[in-house]
Amino acid sequence: MPVITLDRERFSEFVGRDLSLAEMTKWLPWLGFDIEETGVDFVKVEFNPNRIDFSSYVGVARAFKGLRGWEIGLPSYNVKANKVLLRIEEAVSEVRPFMLAAIVRGIKFDEEGVSELMEMQEDLHWGLGRDRKKASIGVHNLDVIKPPFTFTAVEPHSVRFIPLDKNNEMSLKEILEKHEKGIAYKHLIDWAPKYPLLIDKDGKVLSMPPIINSELTRVDKNTRNLFLDVTGTDYVAVEKSLNVLSTTFAEMADTIESVKIRYVDQTVFSPNLTPQKMKLRKAYTNRLLGLRLSLPKIIECLRRCRIGARKVSKESIEAEIPPYRIDILHEVDLVEEVAIGYGYYKLKPTFPSSVTIGKQHVANKTANMARQIMIGLGFTEVMNFTLTNERLHYRNMRRKIKGTIKLANPVSIGYTVMRQDILPNLMANLADNKHESFPQRLFEVSDVVGLNRKLETQCERRLHVAAVSSHVNANFTEIKSAVEAFMTNIGLKRYRVKPAENSSFIEGRVAAINVKNIPIGIVGEIHPEVMNNFGLENPTAAFEINLEAILQ
Amino acid sequence: MIELRENEQRTLMTISSLGGKADVDQIVRTSGLAHASVMRASLRLSKEKLVKVIEQKRAIATLNDEGKAYARKGLPERQLMKSLIKLGGKARIGRVVANAKLENQLVPIALGWLRQKGWARMEGQDRTLKALKEPKKGKDEIVLKILAENGATITEELKKEEQEAIAALRKRKLVEVEKKTLRILELQAKGRKLIKKGLKLAKEVSQLTPKLIITGKWRKTKLRKFDVTAPGPPMNPGKIHPLQQIIERAREIFLAMGFTEIRGPLIETAFWNFDALFQPQDHPAREMMDTFYLSNPKAGKLPEKKVVNAVAKTHENGWITGSKGWGYNWKTQEARRLLLRTHTTAETIKYLSKNKNPPIKVFSVDRVYRNEQLTYKHTAEFYQIEGIVVDKAVTLCDLMGTLKAFYSRFGLRKVQFWPCYFPYTEPSAQAMVYVPRLQHWMELCGMGMFRPEVLSPMGIEYPVLAWGGGLERIAMVELGLNDIRQLYGNSLSWIRRTPLCQ
Repeated sequence: MPVITLDRERFSEFVGRDLSLAEMTKWLPWLGFDIEETGVDFVKVEFNPNRIDFSSYVGVARAFKGLRGWEIGLPSYNVKANKVLLRIEEAVSEVRPFMLAAIVRGIKFDEEGVSELMEMQEDLHWGLGRDRKKASIGVHNLDVIKPPFTFTAVEPHSVRFIPLDKNNEMSLKEILEKHEKGIAYKHLIDWAPKYPLLIDKDGKVLSMPPIINSELTRVDKNTRNLFLDVTGTDYVAVEKSLNVLSTTFAEMADTIESVKIRYVDQTVFSPNLTPQKMKLRKAYTNRLLGLRLSLPKIIECLRRCRIGARKVSKESIEAEIPPYRIDILHEVDLVEEVAIGYGYYKLKPTFPSSVTIGKQHVANKTANMARQIMIGLGFTEVMNFTLTNERLHYRNMRRKIKGTIKLANPVSIGYTVMRQDILPNLMANLADNKHESFPQRLFEVSDVVGLNRKLETQCERRLHVAAVSSHVNANFTEIKSAVEAFMTNIGLKRYRVKPAENSSFIEGRVAAINVKNIPIGIVGEIHPEVMNNFGLENPTAAFEINLEAILQ
Repeated sequence: MIELRENEQRTLMTISSLGGKADVDQIVRTSGLAHASVMRASLRLSKEKLVKVIEQKRAIATLNDEGKAYARKGLPERQLMKSLIKLGGKARIGRVVANAKLENQLVPIALGWLRQKGWARMEGQDRTLKALKEPKKGKDEIVLKILAENGATITEELKKEEQEAIAALRKRKLVEVEKKTLRILELQAKGRKLIKKGLKLAKEVSQLTPKLIITGKWRKTKLRKFDVTAPGPPMNPGKIHPLQQIIERAREIFLAMGFTEIRGPLIETAFWNFDALFQPQDHPAREMMDTFYLSNPKAGKLPEKKVVNAVAKTHENGWITGSKGWGYNWKTQEARRLLLRTHTTAETIKYLSKNKNPPIKVFSVDRVYRNEQLTYKHTAEFYQIEGIVVDKAVTLCDLMGTLKAFYSRFGLRKVQFWPCYFPYTEPSAQAMVYVPRLQHWMELCGMGMFRPEVLSPMGIEYPVLAWGGGLERIAMVELGLNDIRQLYGNSLSWIRRTPLCQ
């Protein structure tokens, strides 16, 4: 989740009141922030990705003032019409078809302001842009470039410019191969025959979206006028990004001016900061929240969340959603805003009157019966992961890899496949407990997974029980007694024991347990080579039974 | 009349036979009793004032390997001296050393001691060594010999100057001294009297046998009295795993609150895990970074067309739900991908799509997966607690109340609800709970009401309250652990010693 560090003094300036740290940590959570860390004179907070507008001081202060009732209602943004032209050439349609832009005049930055801008840009790239794929942002010093601007696509070697933070000119191809940002993001464009490029009237390069800006348009604390561009493959993400960005600047600058954007087939003016309208019903709100709020009260709650609201009938409200709120999809989202504006801390927990009778699932009921029997037989329960690896599951057990359910993206070599039985885990448990006193009798009642092409998921979850007994005198007779006691007590009376072959066990000391001629389990003495593979010294006998037969 | 047990009698007699005073080791050797038996007997005997226990601190000296070597070959300075005398009492240092076959690193030590002991002196530019006197055997050399012959030696039994020599040898790191408490049992007047009166060694029986019982011979048999306070040999019972114990507690609370348990597959299609829950197909949580996908088998089947189409349209443009939707092209292929379910909500929505008549209260405490490295905070596999309430008019406040009732059964009574975000619930909240044991607030679980975009495609008409959180977090608080790996480490010593009632 994204994080923003709020310096108390600086945040106070944005809010317009001298705040204490205690006040900040008290109220920020009621806006949905998680307090990560409280420092000497700062609070580090985490925010949810749906509120990407919280990635700047401006955004947090805007909401904070609203919740406290110091400044409520819809923030208004005036966009001054300007004739600056941006041409989108046909050539980009293959690689990065969309671009919107805005002009900001009279911004006052300090060092911190510039670095905050960078952080906000990164949050937007992550949260809205899907790591620059759907949308990416460029912020330029307007005073060093000349409109009209052109967004075009060119041959990889045809243009050279100095990328940001570098001293030498590089070709577009070189940037993708050598520049750190180029290497990181080349996959977004390197498949295209021509690369996207934003240039000004004289052909000076502003940026190579979505990779890097040019050093020429670098923004520092002396920059006063900005040109904002957002490019991308998803028009909605591009528009939302620009809205969040330009509304943030609007509160730090003198004016926001529009840019005339000419696509091949149409012309648009951006940014479009007109609030969207949505209807909210009083009854719906109260029904979901469990409150009895009046219409004026609901309007006040919304205004505290900086949403414009006015009564349109006795029962409903028209809400005006500020352009930076990219997360309001449905009337229900406004209901939550009402709850936030009302204050989650004021909501009184109640208990639903629904009368129902509880019932446990047959699998867990059976699992608990199995546990009871195994404990009675003197076995101690262990709990293992169902994720395991081929070495442990197959090689150590002297068996062939077969019917494996495999992860596409394992995170470590220890966990690459789903287990098909429990026994290998129990052997590993014995290996981990070699230094503990013997006898060691372990069992597990839990899940394994097997292939079953008939099912929607091609796989089947199965409940198994497995047990090992390990000590100097462990043998087949002992474990056979245990398995018989288990079968009798779990209620599987009509079972047959038949000699079997299984490479994990000693030949002639292993049997299959069949019910209705279907093998459901195995019992035997573990093969000495398996013992060697696990580095075990004491003889070990084991059984494992599939309990699905009981569940049916 | 004092009644003594067999071991106590035998200990008393042995002391008497050893002249009325003996240390525990001696008694053990003579009587053939176990050390622990003599120690236990001595407690009783001294309590009855039959013997007196005298504790003496003793320093036991032993030679280390280097010390043993010098006991054989002589101290380095003695080796040099012998060589010098053989060479006529005056010779160049090099020759003396070569003749003595002394290791180079020992030469400075040897020369130092020669000077300190006043045996020889170095003279002139050419480093000639000259003997000053014929050295007699020093106290240190005598002690070295004693220790070599006796092995471990009680220093207190040596002469004063020998004790000083031991201290010096200890400084030279040739001798190691270990402090030990010696227990000597001394017969007292009361004890002597008792023996005089005649202590008969009655044979006692420790194990009552069926034969003794049936024949009635037990009447004539003396059954040994046991020290009932002595610890028994350790025993390890068959036992439930501590984490399973916590799982059972959570299940019991749900069942007591009238919830029905549901259980679904561990491997799911992305459709039920994500799409049905209105998580857009390019949502970060769906990336390989967070979710385990399968490479074999790769893809599963989708449910009936009607449901799939409704979900698809809801994602794309909101369908009839009144939502704007996510505005992208929904892909069947992506929804068919098989994965390890990241939450039990996958089963919940599937269950609700088939069971629509309120009231419905269902729960699960079951396994889920996240693509995480194993660390003290995270495991790739863990248990999720999930509770669901569906009824005609349930509210956000009802959800808060239900959740509070649930966690208060775990002793977690102070709960706060903060606004939060989840793709499939609105309004949403997270529950923060005050943990008395840790004395701080902890994030407990996420909660909310299912979005219309989730409900409508499944044909669910009533509000759905949902909450879910990790079980391990509570288990760690309950079991006093600070590393989640301990829960799955299956350390037998931990399982064996962890009490079931916390």
